[in-house]
Amino acid sequence: MQSRYGSYPMPASCCLPSSFMLALASLLVLVSGAADAVPSFNRQTGQNCVACHAGGQFPDLTPYGRLFKLTGYTIGERAFPLAAMGVASYTKTRNTNDPFGDQGADFPKDGNFIFQTGSVFLAGKITDNVGGFVQVTYNNYDHQDENGHWVGHWVSDNMDFRYADRWIDPKNDLIFGITANNNPSVQDVWNSAPAWAFNVVPGSSGPPVTPILAGGLAANVAGAGPYIFWDRTLYAEVSAYRTADKIWSFMSQGMNTTRGDQQILKGANPYWRIALSHEWGAHSAMIGLMGLDASVYPDATDPTGPTNRFRDVAVDAQYQYLLDPHAVTLTLSYMHEKINYADTVANQPTELQDASGNPLPLQLTNSRDTVNMFRAKLSYVYRAKYGGTLSYFDVTGSTNTLNQTSGVDPITGEPVGTPVAGNLSGNPSTRGATVEIFWLPVQYVRVGLQYTAFDKFNGARSNYDAFGRNARDNNTVLFYVWGAY
Amino acid sequence: MMEESEKTMSVHVTGRVRRVALGSVIAAAAALLVACSTVERSRTLGNPAIPAQALAAQVCSNCHGLDGNSVSPNFPRLAGQPAVYLTAQLKGFRGQNRSDPAGFEYMWGLSRHLTDEQIDGLATYYAGQQPRANSAADPQLIEKGRALFETGVPDKNIPPCAACHGAEAQGNESFPRLADQHADYIVKQLLVFQRTDQRPGGGVMKTIAHDLTAENIVAVAAFLQSFHFR
Repeated sequence: MQSRYGSYPMPASCCLPSSFMLALASLLVLVSGAADAVPSFNRQTGQNCVACHAGGQFPDLTPYGRLFKLTGYTIGERAFPLAAMGVASYTKTRNTNDPFGDQGADFPKDGNFIFQTGSVFLAGKITDNVGGFVQVTYNNYDHQDENGHWVGHWVSDNMDFRYADRWIDPKNDLIFGITANNNPSVQDVWNSAPAWAFNVVPGSSGPPVTPILAGGLAANVAGAGPYIFWDRTLYAEVSAYRTADKIWSFMSQGMNTTRGDQQILKGANPYWRIALSHEWGAHSAMIGLMGLDASVYPDATDPTGPTNRFRDVAVDAQYQYLLDPHAVTLTLSYMHEKINYADTVANQPTELQDASGNPLPLQLTNSRDTVNMFRAKLSYVYRAKYGGTLSYFDVTGSTNTLNQTSGVDPITGEPVGTPVAGNLSGNPSTRGATVEIFWLPVQYVRVGLQYTAFDKFNGARSNYDAFGRNARDNNTVLFYVWGAY
Repeated sequence: MMEESEKTMSVHVTGRVRRVALGSVIAAAAALLVACSTVERSRTLGNPAIPAQALAAQVCSNCHGLDGNSVSPNFPRLAGQPAVYLTAQLKGFRGQNRSDPAGFEYMWGLSRHLTDEQIDGLATYYAGQQPRANSAADPQLIEKGRALFETGVPDKNIPPCAACHGAEAQGNESFPRLADQHADYIVKQLLVFQRTDQRPGGGVMKTIAHDLTAENIVAVAAFLQSFHFR
């Protein structure tokens, strides 16, 4: 009743059975009481979700939410740190035909209302200067076993530990902090940062290829570094990331290094971020730059020898207007990536042919590539109850036979390779838009309907996979119910 | 054999040295963290030892500004408010007597474990801050609002605001300062008084706001936002 809507999702140990989850959820409901059944940070400050989340729309942060995070999640009093969230969803893709006649082989979840994913959070203030946010996620439909049955899997999700101090007087305002986290940009406080900007609803559709800074290392790496936020205006940070193994392996649980799931980085890899922020009246705006220089072993099962080097730079901006009952957020991001391949990867011959049976235009794989991504997102929430978002994505880049996963057999003339996910052109270009409407009946539940339309997919509008599939065949409707306790 | 055991030993020793070194670093870091924790820069609520000044700087300033001149109209300006009024509001939030949305969403939790001393300290701190001029509003609205402020609406028995809030809208004891206040905040609070019982402490305003029209509310709020006396 007093709660106008919902709050922050907040994580715990790996491999908890679902019965435990159920018991935990029941416990949380009992502990927190019927009217204020909301997550960790809410218990810590006693504030509603809307204090930190723009229009109550998690995870978008308000100016106060940004300061709460930058000061190390330490405002308030230590409270019961556990919370949980769950997402149930229904997806329907425009075309689920399989070229081999196995209807639904590529979209086994299509058309079913499923319990998709659940997270446990451990979050909050630890000392006056130290706090953390740890999310562990259970993907109920992680992969299929040999009998085609779905197998669930616990994985490390977003993690961010902080130390922060703030010196503030009429002349100066300086926040200094240190963050340790498992995804470059998960520590960022603006909604245009790749970790928080797009596809935040579990199960959302988007481009299959993105620069590595846009989530490519999430829960694969561990990094740490200092940051400052001066006069609520200038933010600067430098961090270094390494493979999350040994004592850092808790940040990459669920990744299997021997199977090659986890990206293995060589040494320490720098990430930097600088941003200028300004608040006036009910408005706030930010413009910033960020970059990552990552050296990744091409074969995760054999992390030796030369590496593929990814150099990413992004410019991003955000505008926010927050005045009850309106919450408007516009985010823009343009990312440019240069990839230099290890000698063992570059200049390799390819065996795939085009539709006429001729060798594909680029005989050898490239020694370098570029990938660019532009994304824009506009969201509006009214009374922290009814909202909508409109987002656009456009990935472009160089063509490389390395990326060609489909082609035509020169002898039979039949398409070979990977249907649906395949790439005939070797180009990563993917363009599309997502429109979404949602409703927050109470502050800890969000019900949404989104539609993602693709104009281009894996470099082509039509027959991008050599099996006759068109970009628009991937258009997808997603209905979800997202709750946090 | 000899060489091998020496090598093994050296590996063990190196391992031990590393562990000791790592342990020392962690211990030093922990000591540093504890040493850095100071009540003067604490953001902890619910600890009576934290001075009001620290709470004002580390917590309240995030929305209300360090000197109580908030930038966003979502949050009221506190600079120069009478201490009596501020104390009453903070106690109203703490006791959950003031339950307008702006109050319970943001302030119930933050105030729930403030001590009387901390509340008094915060009230004194903001009462002593210098109010800054707010942004200007539409001149026509301001003139209309000024008339309401100075003379009220005699036909409807609506008294002038100045009668209680002071000729300079500077506030007086339990009557808040209105000068320089965000117009949006004034509009919302007048509607709270007019339409709800969420602010029982401001009961007198319920009667006064009862017959105010929407135009009157917008005009007087515009006037007050632009009304600045030093």
